[in-house]
Parts: sequence; C-alpha cells; structure tokens
Amino acid sequence: MFDLLPHLLNGLTLGLLFALIALGFMLIVGLMEQINLAHGSLFALGAYLAMQLMGSRPPFPAELAKAWLALPLGWRYAATLVIAPAAVGLVGMAIEFCMRRTYGKDPLYGLLLTFGAAMVIEETIRLVWGTRDYVLQVPQAVSGGFLFGDLIWSTYRFYAAGISVAIIGLVWLVIEKTSFGATVKAGAHDSEIVRALGINLTRLRLLVFVLGTVLAAIAGIIVAPIWGIRPHMGVDAVIPAFLVIVLGGVGSFWGAVVAGLLVGLCVGLSGAYASEWSLLSMYILLVAVVTVRARGLWGKKSVLEA
Amino acid sequence: MALIEAAGVHVRFGDRVVLESIDLAVPEGEFHGLMGPNGAGKTTFFNVLTGRVKPSRGSIRLDGRDVTGLSSHRIAAHGVARSFQIMTLFDEFTARENVTVGLPAFRARGFDMRSAAASDPGFAQGAMEILATVGLADKADIRARDLSYGDRRALEIAVALAQSPRVLCLDEPTSCLGSDGVQRLAALVGRLKGKLTIVAIEHDMEFLFALADRISVIHWGQVVARGTPHELQQNEWVRRSNLGRFA
Amino acid sequence: MIPISPPSSDATRLVTPAMLVLWLVLATVPLWIARVGLYPYLGIEILIWSLYALAFNLVLGTAGLPSFGHGAYFGIGAYAFGLCQFNVVANLWVCLAASFAVAGLAGALVALFISHRRGIYYAFMTIAFGQIFWTLAIKSHGITGGEDGLLKIARLPADFGVASFDLNDNVAFYYFVLVLFALAVVAMWRLTHSPYGRVVAAIKQSETRAAHLGYNVWIYKASIFTLSAAISGLAGGLFAMAQLAAFPDVMSLHQSGYVVMMTLVGGGLVSFWGPVVGVFVFLIARDVIGALTNAWMLYFGLLFIAIVLFRPEGIAGAVSAAFQKHSLIRRQGYSAMRLLFGGERWR
Repeated sequence: MFDLLPHLLNGLTLGLLFALIALGFMLIVGLMEQINLAHGSLFALGAYLAMQLMGSRPPFPAELAKAWLALPLGWRYAATLVIAPAAVGLVGMAIEFCMRRTYGKDPLYGLLLTFGAAMVIEETIRLVWGTRDYVLQVPQAVSGGFLFGDLIWSTYRFYAAGISVAIIGLVWLVIEKTSFGATVKAGAHDSEIVRALGINLTRLRLLVFVLGTVLAAIAGIIVAPIWGIRPHMGVDAVIPAFLVIVLGGVGSFWGAVVAGLLVGLCVGLSGAYASEWSLLSMYILLVAVVTVRARGLWGKKSVLEA
Repeated sequence: MALIEAAGVHVRFGDRVVLESIDLAVPEGEFHGLMGPNGAGKTTFFNVLTGRVKPSRGSIRLDGRDVTGLSSHRIAAHGVARSFQIMTLFDEFTARENVTVGLPAFRARGFDMRSAAASDPGFAQGAMEILATVGLADKADIRARDLSYGDRRALEIAVALAQSPRVLCLDEPTSCLGSDGVQRLAALVGRLKGKLTIVAIEHDMEFLFALADRISVIHWGQVVARGTPHELQQNEWVRRSNLGRFA
Repeated sequence: MIPISPPSSDATRLVTPAMLVLWLVLATVPLWIARVGLYPYLGIEILIWSLYALAFNLVLGTAGLPSFGHGAYFGIGAYAFGLCQFNVVANLWVCLAASFAVAGLAGALVALFISHRRGIYYAFMTIAFGQIFWTLAIKSHGITGGEDGLLKIARLPADFGVASFDLNDNVAFYYFVLVLFALAVVAMWRLTHSPYGRVVAAIKQSETRAAHLGYNVWIYKASIFTLSAAISGLAGGLFAMAQLAAFPDVMSLHQSGYVVMMTLVGGGLVSFWGPVVGVFVFLIARDVIGALTNAWMLYFGLLFIAIVLFRPEGIAGAVSAAFQKHSLIRRQGYSAMRLLFGGERWR
C-alpha cells in the first residue's frame, strides 16, 4: 500500500493541475458556447511573460527595472502572478472584440477566429523568445524538496496543487455565490433572458472571456516550473483540457474537476506500472466513459444541440 | 378502426408534466382540429405523434400498428408528414428541390451516390405536380429563402405533401399570415380535405371551425372538450373560455 | 402539361468544362513550374492537399459538419500506406487501398461516437478524437516510429499489368497523382450532385425537417464522415509516397486547422472548387512569403482572422459577389466564373 501512495499523490496533484488548465477553457465553452482554440497559446503566453518578469531582464524602463529587481524574489513572484495574467487578459479582450462580430452566426466562426488568434500568438512567441527552453524561477519557499517517509517530495508540486484548489474554489464561489455568477449562468449565450433582465450582454461576454483567458495564463504560470517553458507547451496543455471537458461533460463545473482528478490519477498510476502507456491510459478512460455516457460524466443536453 | 389512436399519452420533462393524458382517435379521412391556449401541450402532442418526443406513458397506434417511441424518420416512413409552426425549410434549395427531397421515390434512392439527382425527369415531374397543387408552379426555381412569407407557408405544406402521406399534421399553418394568405391556405386545405387524414393545430378559430370535421380542445395537458364545430359551440366550457365566438 | 425547366447541365455532367480546363492547366505545370522559380514537388503537394481539402469539404461544405480533427485521417492514411508496404505486400494498389480503408475505418469508428451531435459539440468531439489519434501516432514508437516518423517508404511502381511505371521521378509521380486527383474529382462531383449528396445537403440545412421526411439523419452524417475520412486517407497515402515517409505532425490540431483554413479561405462553403483555390493560395503563399520572412504564419494568421471576420465566404465567394455586383462584367464574366467556381453550387 505504501508503495502506491506516492503514485496516488502524484496523480492527485497532476489531476488538480489538469483541472486548473481546463478551468478557463471550460468557462468559455460552458457559459458562452465558444471553443477557445487560443487557450493553449494564452496558457503559454502567460508562462513566457512570467518568465520574462522573473528573469534578469524584466520588460520595464531602466529605472523601474532596477527597482523591480531590488524587490525580494517572493514579492516579485506574487506581483508576477497578477501582472502576467492581466497582460494576457488584455490579449483576451482583443480577441473578444474581434469575436463579437461572429456572435449570432455559425459558432464555427468563433472557433476559426480563435484558431487564427492561436496562430498569431504562437508565432509571436516564437519570434520573441525563439524555440529554446526556459525555466521559470520560483521563490525558495516553494522550491526544493523535503523528506517524508524515506522519500523526497517536491515542495512545488504541493504548492501548485494547493494553488489549484484555491483557484478552483474561488472560481466556484464567484459563479455560484455572486450576482455576477448568477447572471452569467442565466445565460451568457442565451441573450433573450439576459436582455429581459436588463443586463449589458456585451460586457458580460467580455468579462467571461477575459476571465477564461486570465485563468489560462495563471495555469500557465503555475504549471511552467513543472513542465518547463517551450513553444510546444500550449499544445501539451490543450489536449488534456479537451479530454477533461469531454470526460466531465461539456459545461459541467464539477464534471471538469472530477474528470481532471480522474485523468490525473489514471496517468499517475499507469505511469508507475507501465510508463509507456501513461498518456494513452487517459484516452482509454475517455473512450470507456463516452461509450457508456455519450455526454460525459455530468454532461447535460445543450440548447445548441437540441 | 381509427387510423390514428393515441391512448393516455403522458409526457414529462424532468418534474414538469407537459401532457397529463391525451386520448385521441382520428378515423381515416377526417380533418381533426386541435385548439387550446398557448402552452397547453398541443405542439408537444404533435411531437409525440411524429416521433420527436418519446412519451413517458401511453401509446400511439397508426392503422393498428404500435408506433410509440419510434424515431421521426421511421414514423415518417409510415406515412405521417408534418409542417412546422416555425418554418423549417431547406432555405438554400429552390422550391422544387425542397419538394423533391420529400418525394418517397427520392427517399428510396437516398443512398444512390452515382447518378445525378437533377438528371431524373421523374423527380422534376413529381415535384412540379406537388408545387402546382399549392400554387407555386411558377416559383419552382426560386430559392426557399427568397420566397415571400405566404409562399413559404405554402411550401411548408408542399414539402409535407410530397411525402404522399396518409396523415398530414399541420402545426399552426396560418401563423402570421394576413387575411389574404389565410384565405389562400383555407382554399388549399379545403381541396386536400377528405383526400387524406389531417390533424391541425390552429389558433385561427374561423379557419378551424369552417374546415374541421371534429375539434379537440386541449388544456393543461388534457382534452377538455371534443366534438364537431357545431357541438363545440354548445359546449359550456368552450363558451365560457370565449373560444367559440367565431363559429 | 406542367412545364419542366431543363436541369442545369453541370450538375448532371460526369465531367464539366471547369474540370477539363483545370486538368489541362495542371497537366502543363511540370513544363513551366521551374521557370517561375518554383519546383515540381510543390505541384505534387498542391494536388495532394487539394484532394484532401476536397474530401474534407464533403464534411464541412456539403454536410455542414464542423470537423476540426481531419488531419488524423490524412495521417492514418499515410501510416497505413507505409505499414502495408512493410508488413503486407509492396504493391501500390493494395497499399493505396489500405490507406483508403484504414482511414475510412477510423472515420467510421469516430462517426459512431459523434454523429448524434451538432455544431460546436460536434467540433469539440472531432478535435478530441483527432488528438487521440495524434497522441497514439507519437507514442506508439514501435509501430509508427514516433516523432521520428515512419521512414524509408518507397514510391512503389504503378503496375498496370501490361506496363509498369516508375514513380521515383517527381514529374512522373506528379502525373500519377494528377490522374488519381482527376478520378477523385469526378467521383466527388458525382457524389455531391447525386441523390445522396442532395440529402446530405438537405440535412445540413435542417436536420429536423429531413428526419420528418423519413431520412435517418444519423446514418447520413456518419456515412459522409466515413467517406470523407477514407478519401482523406487516400490523399494521406499519396502524401507518404511524396515524402517517402509518414510523420505524425500532419495529424496535429494545427495541421487539422490548416485544412479548415484552406477550405474556408478558398470558399469551400459556397463553391465545389473553393478548397482547391484555398490550397493554391495557402501553399504558394507559404513558399513565396516564407522566402521573404520567417514570420509568414503570423501574417497568414492575421489574414485568416480578417477573412473570418470580413469575408467568411472566402475567395470564391468574394469573386462571385464581385461579379454579381458589376452587371456589365457579369454578362460576359458570369459564364467564365461559373466555369471556374461552379457558380451557385447547387444549380
């Protein structure tokens, strides 16, 4: 049993990361019925920006850069966790401004638009940072490892899992317990209800989309120290995000979280016994679930699908 | 034996009961009207009848055969055609193409991938005959989306007629039509009457009372009154609800 | 007697004037392509991608099904060609048939899971399945060679019994692909104008109506997807021959997106030939702009965004709109345009 414990824990932390990665993507799909194919590139952009901010040459004017570098690492990290997602949020805003024109048309156009945006962002990343790998510095307090029961554990993995839980909880609170969440649920895609309630639909959609992109960036920053920063990281992130959402049921919050954990456990455990098949195991899980439940674990029939 | 026999049809969505219990028997050749307030369950009953919705309880028999819960395309193959309240046409197709797709001969060749659909004069001939019935012969090559509202309503019925159905279900055929349009439609339905069995949901009482052989009034998911237009005029419930004032 | 207007000629023809013009032009390509600074291999690429994009457009344009993971079937076709050659029999026809069949089988499997869905959920599932195939290709080192690819695929000779042609030369291979392309175009033109194609087009416009007219919508959606996957697989098999290898990258989300881009940019939603136009523009732009700047994907991405926003009907759509606007040009140009782009697709 004790042999299994590290793998279980590893799987759980991985699962929480998957859930975190899928979170922003899921919000946009579930609430706006738009597939944001730029999710992966925004995820990567968040990581690259954070790396630049934490590195020795921050993207500020000379004076400010000096002051910034004088700050303790922990402070800089905390500030980065705000600044980088905010910058990515601005990019998200720009995408949403374009996407507006496609509302009411075939939803395919939104998908294609975000695909174009993904191309542009990825190419920009490649032009600015090249194709080499980078490492994101993190404060001492969360790096390194500790000994427990004869095993060395990575502190950062637990920190990342903790942050994931906190952010998932926070988003859940916002959606379930605030009036903003209530309006959003009333229908970021069902314009009639929202208009009847006298709500500014344009702003609502913008907020949802920006929230989704900010979450993508945060996920990128949290995941970067584990997976490394390289051009491919966006694609690597989008695949599990898709899986998690299909598995959990499109539009279901807890479906996505549970599916994330399931996928994480599946990958973690199979990784321990048959590492060759660890990535494949999640697809087998997906096919198994979708065969029995066509709409995923908690999927409900959508308006668009009727 | 009646052609359509619905017995105790009950539909619920989640915990919301939409149809309590509907019984309906329509003999062959009858024009049967369905009326009642909005949200009474008329369209849901149509959806059960045409296979769009599976009833939670109850049964639908067609010519003695149990068709309960069959999917729409199977029920259609049994000779049940329908028109839609919210117009559902193939908008990019011309009027003739809309009707052609409805022809049983075309359906029989639905998996023919080798011959050209447009080269078969049989299809064109069949489609033109149907279009002539509804007065659209001269508009055969106009795209459905470019037709006027009244013409689209007529095409809605033409597409259903193309199936050469035994049962024609019309869901609010006069919806949003002006008085000229209603007259034109009444003339068309009048010509069809007796040739096939028609079940029509309609809010236009004048239209319904003039044409229907019998009428069922549906309210709260149940049939609350039934009879010939004349009998309904005498009905206390219909009088009270002011539905019979046109008759 | 009810007057019956004559059915428009192109829809009933086996070979249309546009096809003849296109084939003739394509047949001369090896004679001049080197002189304009390009190279014969580009011609091969254009033909193969055109075949692939036309197959893809059966799903997107004809059936209105937003498949965003079609690269999977193209890639599966490529692998099937190589694996058949190595493990079954090194015969060109058998291997191409394997490309067609295996990709079709994969398509049928996916269709089984997705054909009850519509719109954005359909797109979602096609992406998810596309990624599954892609990961499988990368991870199964033993079979596909993983990210290194399946190498040393040979261009098997085209054996017609009486004569056998060596295809190792790019010009010879170009003509071989051109013949297959021409046959496939005839087949797909036929398919889209057959009763089956018309039913699929009807389902695109209203699934509800089609179901109430007695059509089993599910079977039609599943079968057109399967067919499209099979033809994409055939194109993939040819691509494996062209590259002398099969790589997993054609199966990625990005490459799947490119075929959507090509189809849409060219105007696949309004014209049968749209995908071919798109492939020409995309691949030539790649070579020409790519030679000037290494950021060509950036510009192409921006251009694509602009097209989605302002000209969603693509190049073929814009051209026909322009022709319709200017009635003077229209009188003379209309027939030429119809010749090139098939005009209003269904007439």
